[in-house]
Amino acid sequence: MITSRAGSRGKAAVPVLERWSERRLAASARRRDRRAADLANAVPVRLYGLRRGTVTALTLCAALFALFILAPLAWIVVNATKTQANVYNTFGFWFARPFALFHNLSLLTRSMSGDGVYLQWMANTALYAVAGAGGATVLCALAGYGFARYRFRGSSALFYLTLSTLLVPITAVALPLYLVYAKVGLINSIWGMILPSMVSPVGVYLMRTFIAASVPRDLVDAARMDGAGEVKVFIRIAVPLMVPGLVTVFLLSVVAVWNNYFLPLIIFTRNSSYPLTVGLALLAQGAGTGTKAGLVPVLIAGGLVTVVPVVLLFVVLQRYFRADLLRGSATG
Amino acid sequence: MTSAGLSVLSQQTPAKPAPVRPKARSADRRSGRGRWFVLPFLAALTLFMFVPLGYAVYTSLFTTKLIGGTSFSGFANYEQVLSSPDFWDGVRRVLVFAVIQVPVTIGLAAFFAAIFDLGVAKFGRFFRLVFFIPFAIPAVVGALMWSFLLLPQLGPYTRAADALGFSGTDYFSSRLILPTIILIVIWEWTGYNMTILYTALKAIPREMVEAAVIDGATFSRVILRVKVPMIRPAIVMLVFINLVGALQLFTEPSILSAFQPQAISYSFTPALYVYNTSIGSGEYNLGAAAAVVLGLVIGAISAISLVWRRRSGDLA
Repeated sequence: MITSRAGSRGKAAVPVLERWSERRLAASARRRDRRAADLANAVPVRLYGLRRGTVTALTLCAALFALFILAPLAWIVVNATKTQANVYNTFGFWFARPFALFHNLSLLTRSMSGDGVYLQWMANTALYAVAGAGGATVLCALAGYGFARYRFRGSSALFYLTLSTLLVPITAVALPLYLVYAKVGLINSIWGMILPSMVSPVGVYLMRTFIAASVPRDLVDAARMDGAGEVKVFIRIAVPLMVPGLVTVFLLSVVAVWNNYFLPLIIFTRNSSYPLTVGLALLAQGAGTGTKAGLVPVLIAGGLVTVVPVVLLFVVLQRYFRADLLRGSATG
Repeated sequence: MTSAGLSVLSQQTPAKPAPVRPKARSADRRSGRGRWFVLPFLAALTLFMFVPLGYAVYTSLFTTKLIGGTSFSGFANYEQVLSSPDFWDGVRRVLVFAVIQVPVTIGLAAFFAAIFDLGVAKFGRFFRLVFFIPFAIPAVVGALMWSFLLLPQLGPYTRAADALGFSGTDYFSSRLILPTIILIVIWEWTGYNMTILYTALKAIPREMVEAAVIDGATFSRVILRVKVPMIRPAIVMLVFINLVGALQLFTEPSILSAFQPQAISYSFTPALYVYNTSIGSGEYNLGAAAAVVLGLVIGAISAISLVWRRRSGDLA
């Protein structure tokens, strides 16, 4: 797969469309390769001397667990189509009349009892996720390249400093961030949400590993010989080779920001700045305590709509997740 | 929990440092430019992680009183946090949570990763996709769905349990709330753990397994003697990651508390304690002290994992 990519890189002058279709072809070839690799890697079952019943039993185990995973999702899809009374009074895993899906969805565009408008939260979330993840990807690409392809004074110390924060998630510093924001006036500022979302030590580590494996040192050196400056080498040579790693970091960061709850809960006091997670929690409080009748369908439909973009994204993400790993382990 | 777990993914890729080459002079000058590439990230890391943590430490050394304003009080806030039975109650609870959730999650993940890797269950590709879905679902939504499913008397699961003879069970009662949260977290994180272990298993060279099989190793021996040792680094990292996630437990209990406020106390977990003392009751100095304590514990776990990875040699 590396060679097919290298081939397309060489022809920088090829029209965009052609390069695009070439990439599509390469992607489908990659998928095929992977499937073949899966088959080739599995040692045939009969070699282990297992009885056929074992396969059935283990498949059944997996099916049961899949049911456990999928049932709540089936529930939310079904119940997004119900009225509040039907959510409680009809069978949870099947539809009931009246079919209220579109009514429930239309409620998402309205302010519910002064809690704020769902649609606004959706727009906020999208902004935070795209800006935060975009920024994270750029910072990780630069830092990963710097750590992987340069040795400067203190480089390994700084890299270990980065690694030491690998397991410290942004939620652990949510309150400290709040304290600083209160001092410098960043409470309720969208930057207070976006900027810390750009800090991804994990992303840096991933990019560094990825670059070490897939941006050949010789290629970088050759470009330098030809007189290209460091920035030009990075943009023209390294970045095109880093695309799968960049996409992985971007998608993972989007999911992280989209799902973040603690930080926005603390730093936003105006419900017009809330992301979906905080808005839904607010609705849940109203619905749970029963003070605001009719909130339950909004909550459920809202929950469903919150999930859809992330799951769509995850379908894409899953592919890069594996491709990335397999490549890393194959070429490292 | 957090998606910080990615570290495990990359740590399987054997990222050995390229051999240091004899450097030319111009190369030396050029290599100094690397610091411009890492500068933006390090600046952001400093501004949004180290500075806030430092400021939290500073804040935690003061006490604000209604009359008299803010004054330096040394470690008084730490003494108050560490002598608070409520704080320790939360710590004890997340430890119990971790002792159950971490092994169950990793155990289930390892089991499914193993059977999909061996190809001894059908439709492995489909199941792997399905199991991973909850990773992409916000914990807020996950907790909401489960709250409705387990709602006392009205939830579909509660009714099913009633029909099976467990009538009148309240899954949000103070006795069952922790198992309920464990169930939700297992639902959320098993697939993610499985994906990491599966890819670790896939990275084992086929020849190794074949050789063992040809030498007459049985099914269980192949798993215990060949596969488990090879993925031990991934398992240990997952233990660290899950542990850190458990210590920060916040979203699930805070969502459940909307449905059953009396079962979730203000100090149900250390993270809830931090939130409720600071944002909830305005005792920011005290909250900062608790946040620093929590941060130190998480930082220590992170550092231990780093040392462990260096020693086991899977860090470049």
